[in-house]
Amino acid sequence: MVEKYAVLPCNGLDKCAGVISREIALRLCGEAGHEIICPVFSRIAEVKYRKIISEHPLFVIDGCPTRCASKLAVEKNFKISNKITVTEEAKKSGIELNDTLQLREKEQALIGIILNDLMNTGNKVTQTIEETGVSCHFDYETFQKGKFLFRVPVNKEIFFNENDCWAYVSGNRARIGVTDFVQQNLSDILFFTPPEMGAEIDQFGEAGEIESSKSVFELITPVSGKVIAVNEALIQKPELINENPYELGWIADLELTAFENDKELLIGFDKYFEIMKRKVNDLNG
Amino acid sequence: MSETTFMGVEREKIDWKPVIDYAKCNFCMECAKFCPHRVFEIRENEEIKLIVKNPFNCVVFCRACSKTCGPDALSFPDKNETSQMIREIRKEAENNG
Ligand code: SF4
Ligand code: SF4
Repeated sequence: MVEKYAVLPCNGLDKCAGVISREIALRLCGEAGHEIICPVFSRIAEVKYRKIISEHPLFVIDGCPTRCASKLAVEKNFKISNKITVTEEAKKSGIELNDTLQLREKEQALIGIILNDLMNTGNKVTQTIEETGVSCHFDYETFQKGKFLFRVPVNKEIFFNENDCWAYVSGNRARIGVTDFVQQNLSDILFFTPPEMGAEIDQFGEAGEIESSKSVFELITPVSGKVIAVNEALIQKPELINENPYELGWIADLELTAFENDKELLIGFDKYFEIMKRKVNDLNG
Repeated sequence: MSETTFMGVEREKIDWKPVIDYAKCNFCMECAKFCPHRVFEIRENEEIKLIVKNPFNCVVFCRACSKTCGPDALSFPDKNETSQMIREIRKEAENNG
């Protein structure tokens, strides 16, 4: 965390995670010179914060998955450039949060861990992305429902699961992403959380998240493997997923670990196209 | 509207659904509002105001509604165990067919 951020915390004062969000925000601003955005005041007088928001990237601290702070940012048209969710950080650190609104030892420990992580990320060597040599330009079959267009790439090396995610397999590697069904249902994608570099993910495990004002979608990977690259362009421009989730909107590259086995539970273009059409019709009546 | 099969396996043979922890749930109904598959049912006049009514409508491996749940009251089966189970059922069907 080297830049100066505008920090928007959740500030839910009736929940432990909210109280922790608030404390983290106060300390980031007090100790590291970031600028605070009060969620309560910005709701009625955002003018006060417009200058800060326009000059600094926005860091959002949600307390829990209700995501009030993120939703506020979306509502006010603030572009989120980084964020965390306290309850998720607690899970990662193996700390169980109670109903207490007091910051006792456990809560302080979590605050310490989160602040430490945040302050030190600027010192980490930036990961270089391996050039994987997977190039993506596909031919598509499309169908239209109302004003929505759904594309599915026609390619023998592209496999799908019934959870609307694809894998483009090339040698012992695969590029993964979501289909138009996901992208159209979420509508404008505002935030991308990549899977961790080097993580080993099982088939149907989660490989990153994308988020719109409507909801959060966890990418369910069609193939198991180790994450060797993530699409960093999406961190600044998550809307690339809306433009084309199969090409510039890809999510990650994996080194395959059990493809022969994974293949049993995957489908190709023909089946997926049928399934997607049925789902679109079911959802839209 | 429910899928009848998932990966070629009868949906009703796959145990995949949200489980509500009523000790944590505050009946905010975010999950029910969110899920388009009518898995949940809201019961305004009952003490337990929310139940999992149509477990087989739940999309296997989806956990999306849990992301809307503030108090973390929704849990799901283990994904590895579930995919293992699907493989086994498929093998059995192959052997029998
Ligand atoms: S997991 Fe998905 S399909 Fe199942 S109840 Fe939740 S939102 Fe609905
Ligand atoms: S979102 Fe969570 S707390 Fe709200 S009704 Fe559903 S299970 Fe209960």
